[in-house]
Amino acid sequence: MFEHVESTSEDVLVSRSARGDEQAFGVLVERYKGMLYSMATRLMKDRGRAEDAAQESFIKAWAALPGFKGESKFSSWLYRICYNTCISELRKKRPEVELDEAMGVQVEGPVQEFRNRDIQATIQDEVSRLPDDYRAALTLYHFNGLSYEEIAKLTHKPMGTVKAHIHRARAVLKTRLVERVGWDNLKEVMWQ
Amino acid sequence: MNCEEIRRSVQDYVTRELSIEDRRLFDAHLVECAECQRELALMMALVSTLDHQPVLEPRPGFGEKVLASLPRQRSFVLSPWWSLALAPLLAGIVWLFRVPIARGLEGLLGRVAVSHVTAPAVTLPQAGIAAALIVLVGLGVAFSAGAYVWQVYLRD
Repeated sequence: MFEHVESTSEDVLVSRSARGDEQAFGVLVERYKGMLYSMATRLMKDRGRAEDAAQESFIKAWAALPGFKGESKFSSWLYRICYNTCISELRKKRPEVELDEAMGVQVEGPVQEFRNRDIQATIQDEVSRLPDDYRAALTLYHFNGLSYEEIAKLTHKPMGTVKAHIHRARAVLKTRLVERVGWDNLKEVMWQ
Repeated sequence: MNCEEIRRSVQDYVTRELSIEDRRLFDAHLVECAECQRELALMMALVSTLDHQPVLEPRPGFGEKVLASLPRQRSFVLSPWWSLALAPLLAGIVWLFRVPIARGLEGLLGRVAVSHVTAPAVTLPQAGIAAALIVLVGLGVAFSAGAYVWQVYLRD
């Protein structure tokens, strides 16, 4: 029975969850737990708090599902809940903890991507040091794959501001990457 | 384009947000400038790395923890489709009581001087079919509602 539910389409799972089907909701949790936890970790820079925020987001989603009209994608709706939960947690101003380790970096992707584990770890580390607004916009754009427009709606900021934050964030990352790794080393990695 | 303009548009070039004309000018400059080629390669690698950030997994048992924390009581929201179940029930009631309804209507129309409407007679089989229909719809609604309540509120 569980295998059957696992292969069910997302619309059906969402509709069944909205009617109180915990088994269907469990499949949605399995599908999205990685995305929500990753997003929360990148926004909050603390794995423990990120896990709490991801859990809280799922519970809020469960409570709000009967009112989900399907006007946006379920994933976008879920990201919005997670983003708002994380921002609300961040506003509580607990002491910040630096991201531990290299966040389980996996070496895969296209040829022009940095495959070097140290460089990937450096990028992750520098992302975690970005100002909150920059880091949120960069995460939502690159990791969650949202458009400028979607991010603007989600963060209640003008689209131009969102784009400027992402541009500045990338520029900062590039500068710091060159400072920390050095051009010669980067060149070696990029053209190896 | 000069090197400064290239630096300003390199991100839009990588994310394909430059106009065709600007892209052509960008490419033209790139052919003859090694430093801007280097700038572009670095930004492409950075953007691609950001696009392919790994998905992090929470600790094992996270899913079970979420399901265990779900509130058992959730506001009971009826789907709009439920109203459709009432339609045949109402139709059955109207049909069963069509004689008194029609007589009432006849009286009403008589008072406003319309006299050609007559109440139809109802046979025993017709009344039986109407009663059976109402019982079936009622049982269907009761069974579905029971199953829903069991699934939402009672099942562990």
